[in-house]
Amino acid sequence: MIDVRDLSIRINDKQITDHVDFNIPRGKIITLVGESGSGKSMTISAMLGMLTTDINVSGKVIYEGRNLLDVSDKDMKSVRKKDIFTIFQDASNSFNPSVKLGRQMYAYSGGRIGDTTDVFNVKMLPVLDKLGLSWDITEQYPFQLSGGMLQRCMIACAFYVEPELLIADEPTSALDMVLQKQFIQLLIQLNEERGTTILLVTHDLDIVAEAAHEMVVMQQGRVVETGTVETVFSQPRHAYTKRLLESRF
Amino acid sequence: MRSRKALLFWYIILGLIVFLTLFSSVLAPFGPNEMSMDEVYLAPSGDHWLGTDHLGRDVLSRLLVGGKVTLTVASISVLLSLIIGIVYGGISGYFGGVIDAVMMRLLEALITIPSLIIILVLQAFTQGSMWHMALIIGLTGWLVTARIVRSEFIRLKDAEFVKMAKMFGTPIWKILFGHLLRNSIPAIFVITLFNFAGAIFMEVSLSFLGIGIPPAIPSWGNMLYYAQNDILIGAWWIALFPGIMIFMTILAINFIGEAWKNPTWRRLND
Repeated sequence: MIDVRDLSIRINDKQITDHVDFNIPRGKIITLVGESGSGKSMTISAMLGMLTTDINVSGKVIYEGRNLLDVSDKDMKSVRKKDIFTIFQDASNSFNPSVKLGRQMYAYSGGRIGDTTDVFNVKMLPVLDKLGLSWDITEQYPFQLSGGMLQRCMIACAFYVEPELLIADEPTSALDMVLQKQFIQLLIQLNEERGTTILLVTHDLDIVAEAAHEMVVMQQGRVVETGTVETVFSQPRHAYTKRLLESRF
Repeated sequence: MRSRKALLFWYIILGLIVFLTLFSSVLAPFGPNEMSMDEVYLAPSGDHWLGTDHLGRDVLSRLLVGGKVTLTVASISVLLSLIIGIVYGGISGYFGGVIDAVMMRLLEALITIPSLIIILVLQAFTQGSMWHMALIIGLTGWLVTARIVRSEFIRLKDAEFVKMAKMFGTPIWKILFGHLLRNSIPAIFVITLFNFAGAIFMEVSLSFLGIGIPPAIPSWGNMLYYAQNDILIGAWWIALFPGIMIFMTILAINFIGEAWKNPTWRRLND
């Protein structure tokens, strides 16, 4: 669905990523694994066109036949609005602390695809219900809810929007083990029920084993290994991947 | 629990002062400039609760009307410095880079000059009326507000919810007001309270030095200025009561500001 080819990011003279190549197949959960500073998040930002202009990006990100690095601002905005949904690391920072959740969830879901608030109210209710959230949370402020609940609110928005691609950038690192598991189950559910393609950025191999179909391993700005989770786990080829797998509990 | 009660006390004090000065025209028993040469330097009594001054004017009436003048000057100047501070700090914090560097160096240069000196210079040009006073105090009082707004904006502009909003193309004014300014309000509120106390103090000091509010208009500072001579002949009441009012007002505002500075306290009251 998205083909990342030869993506290199340079800030001044520092090479952040070097000829990154990978493919996100439609309908699959693919994980991007690597230590911090390996260029995972920068790669995602570059794909979304979210890097500032002083950062040098070369290569191609092919989505539906177009190179996302070349499209106009307007087209990029529309892709970011309708086709791609992003979940960040810490849900408690992903919501504006001084605005009630209902309004924000509308902005994150119904508002961006052009639904009115009435449509939002009708469509969101069953989604919240399904995720075990009561409608009352829409009248609450973010600090009144726990991190796990907020992350579920975020997922609720993703269920609502039904994006082509969901990008989750270390979505579970702020959650405890039980909530992590729940959250990963929700991602799997989203993938299986709605066929949403998911790009999961993580450094947790347990999550990879649990959820993903395919994986991409990055180290110091390079892709060192790609393949299905089964193959990579059973026959890791690169030394770094082997070390990663060994360091697993 | 004890501090909660103390805070309530300061709220009441401040509310009372604001109420009294707001309705001073109704509450004052005499006209603030009503002179009576037969009643100069009367000590506090049943007729004149807080006594009279060297021209036989009622101290209580002047105190109430003077409070209105002082608080009006302080309010207008604080409003002005608030607006300038938010715009200046907001631009500096949001755009960052070279703009930020230049604006902050300029601001630091201004901060090093004591505002009293700038005010003295400006006063020489404007020949001081009440409105000019407010303008001048406002023009010199925005520096700290701008710094606070800048640091809040810098902290918030990289927050994930702002990134999210930018991601799907929220217009910039909406990000500035709805995300950045809105979440800076607690900090701005606290600094504005302290600014308010500072502005009262500034008006009082300038008037006390004889370069503030024109002598015809009663203000707390002016009253203190004229009371300097009266103290020497033993008319203590002319200086004491404005002094108490100034003291209590500034103290109340500072205590309230301190309480609002503490976020856990704020949260409990949401």
